[in-house]
Amino acid sequence: MTAFFIRRIFQMILVVLVSAVATYALLNLAPGGPLAGLRQQQQSARFQITEEDIARIRAYFELDLFLPYRFTRWLVGVPTGPMVIGGNEYFSDLVVGCRKPIESDILNEDTGEYEIVITGCKEDVFMKDLVGRRSSRGILLGDFGLSWRILRDRPVSDLLLSRLSKTLQLIGLSTLLSLLIGVPLGVYSAVRQYSKFDYIFTSLAFMGSAMPTFFFGLLMIILFSLVPKEAGWPYVPSGLSESVRDYTIPIIGAVEAGSFKDRSLHILLPTAVLTIVNISFYSRFIRASMLEVMRQDYVRTARAKGLAERVVILKHALRNALIPFITIVVFTLPGLFSGALITESIFAWPGMGRLYLLALGDFDYPVAMAIFFILAILTVIATLMRDFLYTIADPRIRLS
Amino acid sequence: MSAAQVASLSPEAVTIEERSPFQIVMTRFKRHRLAMVSLVVMTVIFIITILAPVIAPFEVQELSVDKYFVEWGTVDEETGRVHYLGTDQIGRDYFSRLIYAGRISLTIAIVSVIISELVGIIVGAVSGFFGGWVDAILMRFVEFMLTIPLLPLLLIISSMLLRNEELIPIPEPVLNFMGNLLLLTPRDARNAVLIILILAGFGWLNAAQLMRGMVLSLREQTFVEASRSLGASNYRIIMRDMIPNAMAPIIVDASLGLAGYIVTEAALAFLGFGIQDPIPTWGNMLSASQEFMLDRPWLPLVPGLPIFLCSLAFNYIGDGLRDALDPRLKL
Repeated sequence: MTAFFIRRIFQMILVVLVSAVATYALLNLAPGGPLAGLRQQQQSARFQITEEDIARIRAYFELDLFLPYRFTRWLVGVPTGPMVIGGNEYFSDLVVGCRKPIESDILNEDTGEYEIVITGCKEDVFMKDLVGRRSSRGILLGDFGLSWRILRDRPVSDLLLSRLSKTLQLIGLSTLLSLLIGVPLGVYSAVRQYSKFDYIFTSLAFMGSAMPTFFFGLLMIILFSLVPKEAGWPYVPSGLSESVRDYTIPIIGAVEAGSFKDRSLHILLPTAVLTIVNISFYSRFIRASMLEVMRQDYVRTARAKGLAERVVILKHALRNALIPFITIVVFTLPGLFSGALITESIFAWPGMGRLYLLALGDFDYPVAMAIFFILAILTVIATLMRDFLYTIADPRIRLS
Repeated sequence: MSAAQVASLSPEAVTIEERSPFQIVMTRFKRHRLAMVSLVVMTVIFIITILAPVIAPFEVQELSVDKYFVEWGTVDEETGRVHYLGTDQIGRDYFSRLIYAGRISLTIAIVSVIISELVGIIVGAVSGFFGGWVDAILMRFVEFMLTIPLLPLLLIISSMLLRNEELIPIPEPVLNFMGNLLLLTPRDARNAVLIILILAGFGWLNAAQLMRGMVLSLREQTFVEASRSLGASNYRIIMRDMIPNAMAPIIVDASLGLAGYIVTEAALAFLGFGIQDPIPTWGNMLSASQEFMLDRPWLPLVPGLPIFLCSLAFNYIGDGLRDALDPRLKL
């Protein structure tokens, strides 16, 4: 058991590291990035950008360092200069990057077009040049570095913190609601199998799980926001987490921008979308699991010894049916952080998920990498928690 | 019944009509009414998209100048063609784009499913059959891939690949073939091929796990033992005994996978990290309609309904197939 978890933890650390390396390389090897616009400006006569400027900007974004050094500096904050052991400096003349690459136009034989290819290096960056350079302490030590674009030069952690509460509100509320509604629905549907309720409920849940979130979100906006607003009926505001100006809704009355009323009206639609999608997912799972358990011998035994049906279902059946449900519930943990990418994007909800999309679209790689990294760690923790809780909830499961 | 009475019965009276496994499955599938309806709906959609060049009154990129957002059913005065669903924000015929988009979205989903199930079958069969370190390495890798948060990773990969399309070498014949299939130029087809690679690259994991599980249980069966004692090679046992007998969960997985791929492809396009605008897909049409739905609330329904319909239909078909093939399957 302990051996299993130790092995598992090592495996998980490997998962996080490998996926961090892979995504970091993917984001950083690709051309473009923060220097994309500079090339055009270099050509224009009014803003002469010299080679020196470019080298400075490259150094600012650490683009002049080779990828492995850039990665370790991002991950754990080293190397920050030559190694000093007993007063002697080691590796101070090691080449760790290229300050001014030589770019030449080379004719591509296949396409017949000229391409810019880096053919050499005019000026190397040595290990000793790293002394005094600004560096993050490393993402593992809680320093996420600085944002490149979205909030230029501000710490990424500030950005994340400003978005975290919004995501927690949305995901926390909808997870809570869907658990409170979804579990009883699933249980009731299983207990009354083949009843009219069960039939209607399973078809609705089936449709709910086949419904793409993005289409469902748009439908909700149309049905509860756009159409009623047009018709002069009470409507629910959609988009953002609070409005900019005061507004009036028929029957409900005047709403002050940023007030509690305003914010609760805005959270209504995205929460509803997430909740309904989750309910159809959770309750289908609970129903299947309950049906499985209700066939077991111990449930028959409980009935045979004359227990009330209520007790049989809630105490003997439901408790066992909830064991596989652990799998699903622990994975709301990464969800709490990443938010619901799609739902947040449709409702312009200023949470983590939208920040992630924004960062990817805007070449703000430190932000995107930070979110992905935290997400990978949380997912891995959730996986571990799942295995652990399983053994506690069901002692029959032996891990090896 | 005495022996004489039995002997006097005609053969027809005591034997029931022999039915092939396929017929048995079909009879059971037909009992699932919603699955049958879905099958009919999907067949109709397939035929429409296959005949896209014949049915569509307009070309995909054809612009009608000064005719932005015309009403549905408007007749083009010069040529007499009808804008069945009106035009979009730059005057392209909505209906024509919709069925071309359907062709692209469905083809991407189908090709992705074929690739991912094939890879899954091979990896799962090899892993389950040989066991040992081959199994350990392959399954650790599958587990590893399954622990990575999928959608965020897909977004990173597709945003990077689509921005640097030219960097990934794709053989010319593949591009030409896909181009012909999708009615796109080979250059535009590159976009679609990349999306297929991304989708299938993460889609085979489930099929591999299913296949491995089936092979592990089949390995102990007597007919496999019989094959081996008759001197069948490993290759023959895998191809003739294992794979055909393990098809049930794979077929169900493929059907549910189709639904998943259609939705995922649309989601990527919707978020702006999938196939980009001049090439029509249901996802990017939906994304574009979002901007104009304040004034035209019905607009998102046009590309949105087919996505929902396909997703629902493939889910029902998968459900029906599971009931018909093996009701105990858990997928």
